[in-house]
Amino acid sequence: MRKPRWRPLLVALTRVTAAFASFRWLRDVRLSVVAVAGESMTPAFLPGDFILIARRDIPRNERAYGLVVCLRAADDRLLLKRIVGVPGDSLRIGTTVQVAGRALLEPHAHGETPAAQYRGVSALGLGEYLVLGDNRAASTDSRNFGAVRAEQIEGIAVLRYWPPERLGLIRRAPRRFAASGEYG
Amino acid sequence: MQIRPLIERFVRPATVAYAHCDLPCGVYDPAQARIEAESVKAVQQRYQNAEQMRGANQTLEDYRSRALAIKEERANMVKEHLWVLWTDYFTPAHLEKYPQLHDMFWKATKEAGAAKKSQDPEQGQRLLDAIAEIDKVFWETKQPA
Repeated sequence: MRKPRWRPLLVALTRVTAAFASFRWLRDVRLSVVAVAGESMTPAFLPGDFILIARRDIPRNERAYGLVVCLRAADDRLLLKRIVGVPGDSLRIGTTVQVAGRALLEPHAHGETPAAQYRGVSALGLGEYLVLGDNRAASTDSRNFGAVRAEQIEGIAVLRYWPPERLGLIRRAPRRFAASGEYG
Repeated sequence: MQIRPLIERFVRPATVAYAHCDLPCGVYDPAQARIEAESVKAVQQRYQNAEQMRGANQTLEDYRSRALAIKEERANMVKEHLWVLWTDYFTPAHLEKYPQLHDMFWKATKEAGAAKKSQDPEQGQRLLDAIAEIDKVFWETKQPA
């Protein structure tokens, strides 16, 4: 008896569907998904947003600045913060973030760093990054736990897929500096 | 039937990423007001010594104008920091224990207002003293009862 021609096609289709439904494909293409909790990344990320994370290496230079990353904290929690300091930077955090004495211009950030979270100069070595929440008045981040190592960073936030009204790619904030000479 | 919650449940990730803040939101410290008030007083001193302080390529008038602009701004920040303490940190229970609290804030914010008009460092010192009184009460309230 002749086998129906569509049979292999059906098998393949079933397999693809099964693989898709298991979400295993996500891991194969080095992606994962997370739900956002907390308000330290407002207004870019709100609690209840669902985010697609690309598990790839973080640039070792300025191109890492402004990326929103998922990182593994010392207490094993997964955190969502933005990279503000990259390897080689010397940063000081007060009312502004200064890189080698020049104040960063950060339109994505808001709120003032509480005086208790001011930090003197942090010099970042190879593979070290400084991460901050965009909500500077209410975030526990590198101002508390210091620099994070590249190995702690699990991936880069690339897409918000929920809620559908706010669906969109997540862009890296460009690194800009305030005009020099503002106050002494 | 609502379709949205169904979809949401289907696409909800199993993992949570915390954009967190471990601190109770609202870290209060009169030091914020004090630091700005220090600036105010320093500007008042610089205004008085403008002749020596100004840059080589700055006229006296320019130097003093800039000093005034910065002082205006800093004095306003003193007011804002004090208001936050007054309205957000202190509670009616504190007021019962420290009935002079309202008066202290009234005087301190008045001094901050006066600092905008005054170029006298002694006035700046009065502002600092008024903040120091609030600071004392603030840290007393932080002591375990």
